[in-house]
Amino acid sequence: MAKTNELMFATEAQIDEYTDQLPEIATEKYLIFSSDGLMYGIKAELVKDINTDYTITYLPKVPSYVRGVINLRGQIVPIVDIRLRLGKMPQDNFCCVVVNVDGNEVGILVDMVEQMVDVPLEAILPVPTSSGHAMVSGMCTLADGHTMLELDCELLLHD
Amino acid sequence: MGSGNDSILDMYLYETNTLLEQLDGILLAAEEADTFSEDNVNEIFRIMHTIKGSSAMMEFNSLMTVAHRIEDMFFLVREKGMDVVPEQTRPDLFDMLFQAVDFFRSEIEKVENDEPLSQSIDHIVNKINSLIDKIQGNPAAPAADIPAAAESAPAESAAAEETSLPLADAVNQDYPYGIHVFFDEGSGMENLRAFMLLNGIKDYCGDFISYPDNVETDPSTTDVIADQGFLIWFRSPEDREMSLPAVKNGGSVREYQPVDAARPAPEAHAETHDSQAPSAPVSAEAPKAVAAPVSAAKPAPAPAPGQQHAKESLISVNLAKLDQLLAVVSEIVITESMVTSSPDLRGLRLDNFTKSARDLRKLTDDLQDVSMSLRMVPVSGTFQKMNRIVRDMSKKLGKRAKLTLIGEDTEVDKTIVDAIGDPIMHIVRNSMDHGLEERESDRIAAGKDPVGEVILSARHTGSEVIIEIKDDGQGVDTQAVLNKAIRQGLAAPDHEYSQKEILNFLMMPGFSTNTEVTEYSGRGVGMDVVKKNVADVGGTVSISSDWGKGMTTTLKIPLTMAIMDGMEVSVGDSMFTIPINSIQSSLKVNAGDVIHDPHQGEMVKIRDNFYPIIRAKELFCMEQGCDNIEDGILMWVESGEHSYCLFVDELLGEQQIVVKPLPSYINSFNVKNFGITGCSILGDGSISIILDVTNVYTAAHNIY
Repeated sequence: MAKTNELMFATEAQIDEYTDQLPEIATEKYLIFSSDGLMYGIKAELVKDINTDYTITYLPKVPSYVRGVINLRGQIVPIVDIRLRLGKMPQDNFCCVVVNVDGNEVGILVDMVEQMVDVPLEAILPVPTSSGHAMVSGMCTLADGHTMLELDCELLLHD
Repeated sequence: MGSGNDSILDMYLYETNTLLEQLDGILLAAEEADTFSEDNVNEIFRIMHTIKGSSAMMEFNSLMTVAHRIEDMFFLVREKGMDVVPEQTRPDLFDMLFQAVDFFRSEIEKVENDEPLSQSIDHIVNKINSLIDKIQGNPAAPAADIPAAAESAPAESAAAEETSLPLADAVNQDYPYGIHVFFDEGSGMENLRAFMLLNGIKDYCGDFISYPDNVETDPSTTDVIADQGFLIWFRSPEDREMSLPAVKNGGSVREYQPVDAARPAPEAHAETHDSQAPSAPVSAEAPKAVAAPVSAAKPAPAPAPGQQHAKESLISVNLAKLDQLLAVVSEIVITESMVTSSPDLRGLRLDNFTKSARDLRKLTDDLQDVSMSLRMVPVSGTFQKMNRIVRDMSKKLGKRAKLTLIGEDTEVDKTIVDAIGDPIMHIVRNSMDHGLEERESDRIAAGKDPVGEVILSARHTGSEVIIEIKDDGQGVDTQAVLNKAIRQGLAAPDHEYSQKEILNFLMMPGFSTNTEVTEYSGRGVGMDVVKKNVADVGGTVSISSDWGKGMTTTLKIPLTMAIMDGMEVSVGDSMFTIPINSIQSSLKVNAGDVIHDPHQGEMVKIRDNFYPIIRAKELFCMEQGCDNIEDGILMWVESGEHSYCLFVDELLGEQQIVVKPLPSYINSFNVKNFGITGCSILGDGSISIILDVTNVYTAAHNIY
């Protein structure tokens, strides 16, 4: 009680003191998934759904990495195969992560969804080379020693 | 206008537009009867009062001023009954009111488009004022009337005030019949224009005076004429009548109106003040002493007529919300059938479940019907607008005509109602302009009623609404149409055409039978645009004509865009939906029936015509599907001028489907150009791709 009182009547300088006492680390939840041996992360708030039971309807006249559309609770959602998008060999994938990019819902076919982690924002480092991995906007070393590549969903959809 | 006002502005626009539509309806009915019923007068009074109030709130002064003056006028009419309006001024009254409605509409449009409002309302206010004078039996513009106008619109009426006073004084007792002429705004050298006008009148009648009278020699009269108009006074109404053509044909004349001078003017003034002031608060509003009780009494009658009307049990809902509701409901319907026909239930005997499932199905069906009906609006709004067009055109073209409406309460999807307004208007104009005979004598000679008739009808047939625009005019001269089509290279000279084929030329781009371009039609952008607009909402247009008896244009339009009848076909694993209304028939052919051309194209002969074959599998680069023409089936489809056969594997059956637009990400690959317009979710949750027959043809054409 005494402390609250103190805080209530604290001066500006004192407030700085109090907040300093509780070091706050800005973190963001990330969903980690693997594709072709690499770990990718997507901001969890963008993820709408993780689905393994769906039927892809083939859609003609779209790039090959757009595998088609699925019926997600009555919504038509396009499916992008991240392997094909990155120029890798396709593989039978069942796990589909539906993300919201700029208000458009898009499903991404991945090998496997690994885990959810809290990543401190300052731990995300820029990609060293611009010609390195396409569609990656940042990198971060996780607690288990793996390196997470932050997926840039915008780039995934639009060249 | 701040963004915070936007919702108020929306409200204002919606309300005013509704009121104007209502007013238009009342006016048309009243003009027919040549009088206003008491209800009508109250209603118009109420409408004007509302427009005045809300316009004042939105600070649209010009709207407010005009509404205010009309309200004043109807206050008079309400007080004294319709008899107060002399028989001969009634047409003027109606014309003025229609003009006022048009003025309101154009101003509202400006507000909608964020354009500045027009400031020149003098002529319309003057017109109303002069009508009010006539109603009061006080033909000269009375002095008392002017301050009232000035009060409501100080800027605009300041000019009017100056006008009327000197004009009234200038009247020479011997020349009481005047014409008040306004020249085009900013035309310049008004005094010379006036002089030329006087010279023109001299050809018809030599005995007149003018105000200002020394136009030729005094350049300062320019401003007076520009501000207040130019007055010419005659001795007798006959003289005035004779001179009207000169005024009509005079250069730069914006408008003119006959005015009658007061005889004797001063007495009329006195009368206004003495006997009419209590009963005519309009003219008395300005004197402050009288104003107080009058304005106190004024708000009271306004709500009264409002109460007489049954409270509208209507609310306005954003169309997007309805779309959302419809989407959710169609999901429920699909999900329901997924649940009840779930493979997990197979082989189980579930009496209670089956019973509940049946109830659920009934309820979801009801729910779907109700939510569909929410989007349905009667076509009466669109039809009523045609009344006005027929009226205006029959006045302008000098053809008497009446419009008969049948089935106005037929309901159609809102988007469709919006889309067919322009096409219907265009066809009605065509009927008025070319359909009905130029001269009534021609009609009488043909044994018809001298008054032409245009019939606009709407009715339902299953999933379509049929709108017919029929006139009893001369019909289409098929030979003339054919000749013109040949001249324009649309038709081959040595070919025999059926009547239907000839009439179809009318809907080709750039075709117009009228040799002259009139205000209303004849520019050759006509029926082809109508056809396109109707096709955009999935409908078709057909014309039939009986030479000498009239023509009928028929629009067949699906009830709604969101739901359509489609034929499900399969190619490999994929399912496609072809809109039923573009399918002619389906047929199986033998390999021997297929005709090849040098470019590896395939064709098939159906009923004496050759049609190209488009293989869906090849067009869409699919891996699975039939290659042998004998294994699959040909769908003979037609849309617009394209007719061809689409080769698919199998015909799955007809189904009513809910159209879902493609995700915008998919649309960014321009699949629309390949005839893929949307998707629909079938009962088992699978997705079918909706094909657009026209674009499939174009895509195939570009490839081969």
